[in-house]
Amino acid sequence: MKGCARYALMAGIIAAACGITAPAARSDETCLSPYTAALIKGQEAFLHVWTLGEKGLGDGSDKLVTIDVDPKSKTYGKIVSSVSVGGRGEAHHMGFTDDRKYLWAGRLDDSKIFIFDVGTDPSQPRLVNTIADFAEKTKFVGPHTFYAIPGRMVIGSLSNDKTRDGVTGLAVYSNKGEFLSAHPIPADNGGDGYGYDLAINPKKNVFLTSSFTGWNNYMTDLGKLIKDAEAMKHFGNTMVLWNLKSMQPEKTLRVPGAPLEIRWSLNEGDDWAITASALTSKLWLISHDANNEWQAKEVATIGDPAKIPLPVDISIAADAKTLWVNTFMDGTTHLFDISDPTKPVQIYEKVTGKQVNMISQSFDGKRVYITSSLLSRWDKKGADNEQVLRAYDWDGKDLNLKFEVDFFAEKLGRPHHMKFSGPTEKASLDMPGRTAPQ
Amino acid sequence: MAGIFAAALPLDAKESAGLPPPPGSYTLDHIQRVPAGIVLEGTKFPRALSRYTTGAITLLAFFYSYCADPNGCPLAWVAFEKMREEIIARPELHGLVRLVFMSLDPAHDTPGMLSGFARRYESSASIVPWHFLTTYSNLFLKPVLRDMGEEISIDRAASGGGGMVINHLPKVFLIDKQGFVREIYSNQSLDAAMILGDIETLLLEGSKASGHKE
Repeated sequence: MKGCARYALMAGIIAAACGITAPAARSDETCLSPYTAALIKGQEAFLHVWTLGEKGLGDGSDKLVTIDVDPKSKTYGKIVSSVSVGGRGEAHHMGFTDDRKYLWAGRLDDSKIFIFDVGTDPSQPRLVNTIADFAEKTKFVGPHTFYAIPGRMVIGSLSNDKTRDGVTGLAVYSNKGEFLSAHPIPADNGGDGYGYDLAINPKKNVFLTSSFTGWNNYMTDLGKLIKDAEAMKHFGNTMVLWNLKSMQPEKTLRVPGAPLEIRWSLNEGDDWAITASALTSKLWLISHDANNEWQAKEVATIGDPAKIPLPVDISIAADAKTLWVNTFMDGTTHLFDISDPTKPVQIYEKVTGKQVNMISQSFDGKRVYITSSLLSRWDKKGADNEQVLRAYDWDGKDLNLKFEVDFFAEKLGRPHHMKFSGPTEKASLDMPGRTAPQ
Repeated sequence: MAGIFAAALPLDAKESAGLPPPPGSYTLDHIQRVPAGIVLEGTKFPRALSRYTTGAITLLAFFYSYCADPNGCPLAWVAFEKMREEIIARPELHGLVRLVFMSLDPAHDTPGMLSGFARRYESSASIVPWHFLTTYSNLFLKPVLRDMGEEISIDRAASGGGGMVINHLPKVFLIDKQGFVREIYSNQSLDAAMILGDIETLLLEGSKASGHKE
């Protein structure tokens, strides 16, 4: 064996064997799957925004919009790409494959999934595959959460193709887009069968799912929905703790009021997750109790629940000391101190729009991005229906607006989910002149 | 070595959830079939990749001999050594599992070069063989990597000091006797107990299918 090469490998093996490894570079956007690689080092370069098409506006199609977010770039704050996928199917959320090369983006109405290559040139995503038979294969409707595991994608859904209520499940697909297996959310032993988000804790071999509502509700005008007492009963009130290896549910937790996004603490040694319940406006902590049993506990109130501010997206800081929470109805962005997750305390708030939904922060917490759209049938109407993306710097005291993109003025549609990409750096293995150690 | 795997398991005896499920109590998806490929082992004589991915349960990882990232190839190496020890200690697994490392740099990692690694494990070859494979060139390597979903690139910044660094997502593939990938482990999930449980699950699956215990 060639000397230097052997010694480098053996040194690495010894380091690995002794547990002397560099801390795993944590993901940039803090809500990514823990299996996501190709981590952005430093400033994010591009922001991909999955956007709902608007009838009569531009091409009227759902689309993936890419914005330059590098402050040093000549096109900072500008749209650099827009890839229309045809039709309007309630574009909602998306997720990277584990290698970060592809972005899977789903639609809640027609259940189509669009797969974009964002790894080759993140400034110019390309649509490379469309999964049009998700409902047929899985019997689920409304692919919502796209969560990478090694070589596969776990998809959390919102509804089913029979009753169109919230009873649903998880589907596992290969990264090549082939359906592998379906796993219903339990509807017995206290479960309601409802789904929404999922989040994995690999070290504990568990993951959590949360619960929202079904197609019958999320595709209904919000004003009409809230007057329908019967329909309003059909919202999720549970979270489920699953065994990751077996993909089997182990415990159902009572979390009333539609718990939505789930965020695990990224701190080494922490084993807790936090969520916000939309209808009851509470923060909930999922952690071990004194008997080492997983429990869900209400730990804080968001805004004034009597006014139904409707907490939606949340974003946990990389050090798990703070949590951003957006409330849709009053357009407010809240910051909670969660350094003691059992006692979150709001330390800041700012009205950042007439309606706000998604919030994404850079890994260092210095940049915060917010979009406006929740669901096409739930977004506000008239002058309050602004559809914007706003980019802020956070200096620890205040959110300072850096730029905004008016998606209606740009004839794009309603901006929803956001994901970051870094600059293009990759080289082929066939790069000429490459040398290996002798 | 135990420390690496301890962190991946809920070791607290009182842990109420997330315990490794009993082998055979769950199903591993058929994720994909291992693609066809031409590989070299020890000599320049071409062999089919399927020779090393069918007929026995296989753990396969991609590596390169000068990788020094403790979170990359060395981590997989340590995991394989641990698995080798575990299998040697369990006679019921003898001859049923193989380990395969395949190089990401065929220009540097020649058959002769890799045979040096293989010699270290010759003594247990009849119990749990560990194969070190390469191929002729990137022309033969790239289709295999593409079909296995193993994206690689040269890290230009890290390679500047004279040694090349190949970026790749460390993965270990668990392959059944028919050549289907049934589980993929990352550096977040390289847990000996879980891997053994998956191997036993596949063996139980095979014995159910054939109607006898293997």
